[in-house]
Amino acid sequence: MSVVISSRFLCRLALLVALSIGAGCSVPEAPQENPYQRPVDSGESGSEPIRLLHNQALAAINESQYQQASDYLQRAIKIEPRNAWSWHYLADVHWRQGELERCLAMIQRSQSYASDDEQLASANQLLMAQCQ
Amino acid sequence: MPRKPARNRPAASKPRKRPAGARSSTRSHRKRRYLGIAALLLLAAFAVYLGYLNHIINSRFDGGAWALPSRVYARALEIYPGQALSREQLIYELELSSYARVASEPLPGEYRLLGESLEFNGRAFEFADHRQDSRRVQVFFLGDKVGAVNDSRNGNDLSIFRLPPFMLGSYYPDNGEDRLLLAEDEVPQGLVDVLIAVEDRSFFEHSGVSPLAIVRALLANLKAGKAVQGGSTLTQQLAKNLFLTPRKTLLRKINEAFMAILLELRFSKRAIITAYINEVFLLQQNRIAIHGFERASRMLFRRSVDRLEAQQLALLVGMVQGPSRYNPFSAPEAAMARRNLVLKIMSEQGLLDEAELKRASAAPLGVVRHLPGVNRFPAYLDLVKHQLQTSYSSDELSRRGLRVFTAFDPSAQQNLERGLEQGLRRFDQPRLQAAVMIADYLNGDILALAGDRVSDYPGFNRALMAQRPIGSLIKPLLLYSLLQNELTLASKVKDQTVRIKQSDGKVWEPRNYDRKLHGEMSLYQAFVRSYNLPFIWLGIDGGLEALAQNLGKIKLLKHDVVYPSMLLGTTEMSAYEVAQMFQVIANNGYFTPLTTIRSVTDQNNHVLRRIPLDSLKLFDQARMIQVQRAMIGVAEHGTASYLARRFEGRTLAGKTGTTSEARDSWFAGFSNRLLGVVWLGRDDNTPINLSGSSGALRVWADIMQLQGFEPFKLTRDDSLAWHYIDPLSGAISQQKCANSVLLPLPQDRIPKARSRCQ
Repeated sequence: MSVVISSRFLCRLALLVALSIGAGCSVPEAPQENPYQRPVDSGESGSEPIRLLHNQALAAINESQYQQASDYLQRAIKIEPRNAWSWHYLADVHWRQGELERCLAMIQRSQSYASDDEQLASANQLLMAQCQ
Repeated sequence: MPRKPARNRPAASKPRKRPAGARSSTRSHRKRRYLGIAALLLLAAFAVYLGYLNHIINSRFDGGAWALPSRVYARALEIYPGQALSREQLIYELELSSYARVASEPLPGEYRLLGESLEFNGRAFEFADHRQDSRRVQVFFLGDKVGAVNDSRNGNDLSIFRLPPFMLGSYYPDNGEDRLLLAEDEVPQGLVDVLIAVEDRSFFEHSGVSPLAIVRALLANLKAGKAVQGGSTLTQQLAKNLFLTPRKTLLRKINEAFMAILLELRFSKRAIITAYINEVFLLQQNRIAIHGFERASRMLFRRSVDRLEAQQLALLVGMVQGPSRYNPFSAPEAAMARRNLVLKIMSEQGLLDEAELKRASAAPLGVVRHLPGVNRFPAYLDLVKHQLQTSYSSDELSRRGLRVFTAFDPSAQQNLERGLEQGLRRFDQPRLQAAVMIADYLNGDILALAGDRVSDYPGFNRALMAQRPIGSLIKPLLLYSLLQNELTLASKVKDQTVRIKQSDGKVWEPRNYDRKLHGEMSLYQAFVRSYNLPFIWLGIDGGLEALAQNLGKIKLLKHDVVYPSMLLGTTEMSAYEVAQMFQVIANNGYFTPLTTIRSVTDQNNHVLRRIPLDSLKLFDQARMIQVQRAMIGVAEHGTASYLARRFEGRTLAGKTGTTSEARDSWFAGFSNRLLGVVWLGRDDNTPINLSGSSGALRVWADIMQLQGFEPFKLTRDDSLAWHYIDPLSGAISQQKCANSVLLPLPQDRIPKARSRCQ
């Protein structure tokens, strides 16, 4: 019983001290692993089919076959819709086709999936400058 | 000056009398002249007549002889290592594409089971972006996933293989005819040989009509005392089928003969026999008439006509004489007798040897057990047509032979249909109707759809056409609108009586679903419990205008006048429109139009239209994440907590909706990728006594259970800070405190108040 009283007392004391010095109780830190959040993954490594489709799309871009490149990338997005690189490449295709609004929209989607990927962030920034 | 008498001119006053012989000669001359004129007129009329026949031939034979139904294809299944695809699912997909199961090495359009793996031979296919040749592929499975995909010819690993899509339906011409055309060089010689042996042995000798055949038929018919044999050549039959009515009149026979001659004069024998093979009527499938050997072959034997065995070819050729009389389903014995007669003729004509004849005659008919239904997925086809009609008229769709590539996912559709059937069984309400849509909210693909409680019923498509009040399904977008007005999920709100005087003087006094008042609470708590009154208070305090603007952004604002009852979801929407609203919510505020169509080509595979993948940022991501978190709360401990109990530990987000007197039961929810919307109600709008929670939610869960899903996760957003909140007071709390909930809040709007638990 005495332990309970003393811990309550200490807690109230701590609260009083904290209030008296004008500082609010420190806000609890957000948990390290948030069960509701998705881990960030730009999909750079990508699975085998995605790598293949990206390669095919890039080859098609090199040959100025933009519609075909777009088809490959849309297939990749259908398989892995949160792969930030697929959206980036699709933005690139739209830029080459002169569809600047679409280009910007695709860059936004790409950025929303990969805030931590610096290489992709730079690539998106460069492309955004061209699409604006 | 005297006039010189004209030489040899008879005197006018005294005409010279002509001799009788001369008179007769003049009459005869006149007669000849009249006859000549008459002959000329007749000849001219005949020429006009022939010209007329020729014109008919030109218009129908030379260019676009047939109205071709437009074909609608499902999405192509991508097969790759690591993919969630069981062997049973792959078999289901193959069977839908009419692949035949065999024990030997599969030919195009066939598959076989090899231990735990499956080998199939994918048919050649013209995709909208390229042509893919047929290929033998072996798929290995690890549980319900694909372990490896191999090229059977060399055993090499394949990173990915695209299985050609199955045809989910067609838009038929008004005449109800369905056919698949073969080009001249695609017609198998074996078919030509059998057809000529049975129907017209002098085909390559005659010029359209065969007098000998007519005399032979006449004698045979006289001998029998009735019509037992026809004297028409294949060309005459073609002329009759293509240009004339089946009525047996002399004029029709004359027209037929001349048209046959004209056809022979103008076209090659090969072109004529090809046209015959494409034109001839062979089978009736409900209201659709199956014409041409290729379509009939695919329907009866699930294979192309160039891969038929002798007895199969014999059955099809035998059916030409009487498609109904020799129908292998309704008259199998007659069909068998006719087939064996054809086989005998083939043997007599040297097309089969004795051993082949014996083996083929002993074989069963070998047709599929049931003809596949006509357009098994009417609701989806209806939506495809609806979305196509901005570019193509109904007439074009039913005549131009377009190829429409869609996002239809047969596995999702199967799960939807089974889940819906299973879910509706709970309620024992035969008049209860349903509309369901499943979509991929990340790319806008509409995967599956039901517009009736009986999914393959081709009637009123409720998913598209039934406009119903959506009840509390409006609240997620309303919550977003409130978050725009400086509120957070932790903001304190009041659940107290509202009275609004309307323009007609009446007082509107809305109530909560449970008709109780619950005092103060956080906005989060009001949302997950779906209380109405706090939202009405906040709505009339500015939220309503923002809600109207937000509905307008996604083109779902139905009225120019904004009225407070909109806050309770009196706005009417179809399940399709509701799905579009939740697409943008689930997709962090990115609007991607929900579509069934991906591309359209003409019959020669020229791309006419592509639907690009669009993504438009219409709403703020951070606010949308807060809305999503609140929807997770609904599924965890709110009006849809049934989901937490049923799918323990697997996060889902959703919202229930119930309308006045429980006339409509709604649920809209999403997983990591899939969005599902379910509506239940009656066509006569009478109460169904089901809330969103007790009705639509259960059906939704039944469907998702079958579909399988990845739990929903929120996107990280650095403008949000996560804190444990007491849902009643909205104060900062701790994880250990009972009922505390972890919520995302804008960094600059963290509540100052602390809960007593601390």
